[in-house]
Amino acid sequence: MARLATAWAIFQGLLLESLPFLLLGVTIAALARWLVPQAAWVRRLPRHPLLAPVVGALLGFALPACECGNVPVARRLLASGAPLGTGFGFLFAAPVLNPIVLASTWAAFPDQPWLLFARPLGAFVIAIALSALLGLMGERALLEPALLEERRLTQPLAEVGLLERGSGVLGAAPIPISPRPSSQSISLSDVLLHSGREFLGLLVLLVLGCALAAAVQSWLPRAWLLAVGSAPTLSVLALMLLALVVSVCSSVDAFLALGFAAQVTPGALLAFLLLGPVVDLKLAGLFTVLLRPKAIAVTALAASLLVLLIGQWVNLVQL
Amino acid sequence: MTLRLRWSSLSLPLLLLLWGWVMVWSTASGRLDLLLRSVYHPIVAVGGGLLILIGLLQLRLLLRRKRAGQASQTLPRGWWLTALVALAIIVFPPQPSFNDLASSRPSSLPEAPRLAFVLPPEQRTLTEWVRLLRTQPDPSLHAGAPVSISGFVLKRPGEPAQLARLMVRCCLADATPSGLPVLWPEGFDPKPDTWLDVKGKMVTQEHDGALRNVLEPSSLKVIPRPERPLEP
Repeated sequence: MARLATAWAIFQGLLLESLPFLLLGVTIAALARWLVPQAAWVRRLPRHPLLAPVVGALLGFALPACECGNVPVARRLLASGAPLGTGFGFLFAAPVLNPIVLASTWAAFPDQPWLLFARPLGAFVIAIALSALLGLMGERALLEPALLEERRLTQPLAEVGLLERGSGVLGAAPIPISPRPSSQSISLSDVLLHSGREFLGLLVLLVLGCALAAAVQSWLPRAWLLAVGSAPTLSVLALMLLALVVSVCSSVDAFLALGFAAQVTPGALLAFLLLGPVVDLKLAGLFTVLLRPKAIAVTALAASLLVLLIGQWVNLVQL
Repeated sequence: MTLRLRWSSLSLPLLLLLWGWVMVWSTASGRLDLLLRSVYHPIVAVGGGLLILIGLLQLRLLLRRKRAGQASQTLPRGWWLTALVALAIIVFPPQPSFNDLASSRPSSLPEAPRLAFVLPPEQRTLTEWVRLLRTQPDPSLHAGAPVSISGFVLKRPGEPAQLARLMVRCCLADATPSGLPVLWPEGFDPKPDTWLDVKGKMVTQEHDGALRNVLEPSSLKVIPRPERPLEP
């Protein structure tokens, strides 16, 4: 019973801490929708496989929030027709490449300047690699159906046919489509309605993610994860697992890492700081508004593999 | 039918108002003191206020334009889940067992002390003592120093009970314990999760072949859990 009460408290802590950041992300997405409804600039972003994710990652400096807030903004970018690479670059790298996260990393590890360079660099590498990998799957297999429909409405007919837009398929069930960008500005009430629905939709997934993270945290002793701290490979794997389970925001994970920095290898420390902002239990639900389940699985596996390799390489160099 | 449609269209602003209220009320009622580091409290309150504002704005727009009947979309099931969770948060306050939470987590290595060196020993908190003892590992330096601290009883399986505090960087999810070993008086059975105010002095004790500092109490008083039990 005590454990259940503790899990309930952890759940509340995680949820209430994440909600303002989720709201911030939805608000920025709503403002972007209201102020630049056509978002033509989004579709003019570079499509180069290397340049697109780099530009997306750099957009993170405009949104000083953690990964929860990034999901609605990344969804808005993709729905507005942004190149896939830019959307994914933003989604995966921006939680690290923003002023607050870099400042907190510096504040937590002032005596380890290598971490201040390795963390953003690693985030860039992961974002570029994941964008390239996911790009191979094709939009239809990659994007969540409602997002795909919304995205195709913004693409020129030269690229997407009428049938592919899904707006006139005979015999098919009507597909609920969000208000499309038009030449006229969108009214405030429409923006409010849409962002309110988006917030509640994401909140459902955030609730599920926080419940999962709280349950795993309460019934999986953290000491087990840290018991292998000094073994090069095992420590990287253990800290990756810890990042998945703990699910704290990227804006504070450096301070959490500080707590066990002396007990683990440098590669494991970097692995913790790189993987958490890309994949964790709390994000598992939120990603379903962007990606199909298969794409989420590919993302999680590929990100884990990349982080493991980076962590191993750092251990090899530093040990 | 009209009533159902009206309710479904009203549900959006009402749910936003409910969640805004949960966030503002959690801050105002002091519940967040048990859940989050204090630096995040205003952020939650401002977020809640913003949600209430958006909810009221939506409600006003809805009523003014009489659009209640237009919203024919059915209410997503997940929204009901969020309503239930919001109500559960209001009805069931967090009652975490700090002992349970700390038992499954290793003690962290806190950063170097700042004020602990200049503070008189009896004014140091438990966390400051732990930081000091870890950065100044010569136990004889602190032998005989007066101690006046409070904390909860942490009883890990197979280990003697300690007096501990939880430190958070963000929220309970990342809480890590810092504990001091205590020479409990004969016949005193420290119950896990009990909060104690302890006065005494620091002494040395041999442990695993090495000297370490241990708190020897001269007085022990059971106290209620402090309003702000988490330490940064």
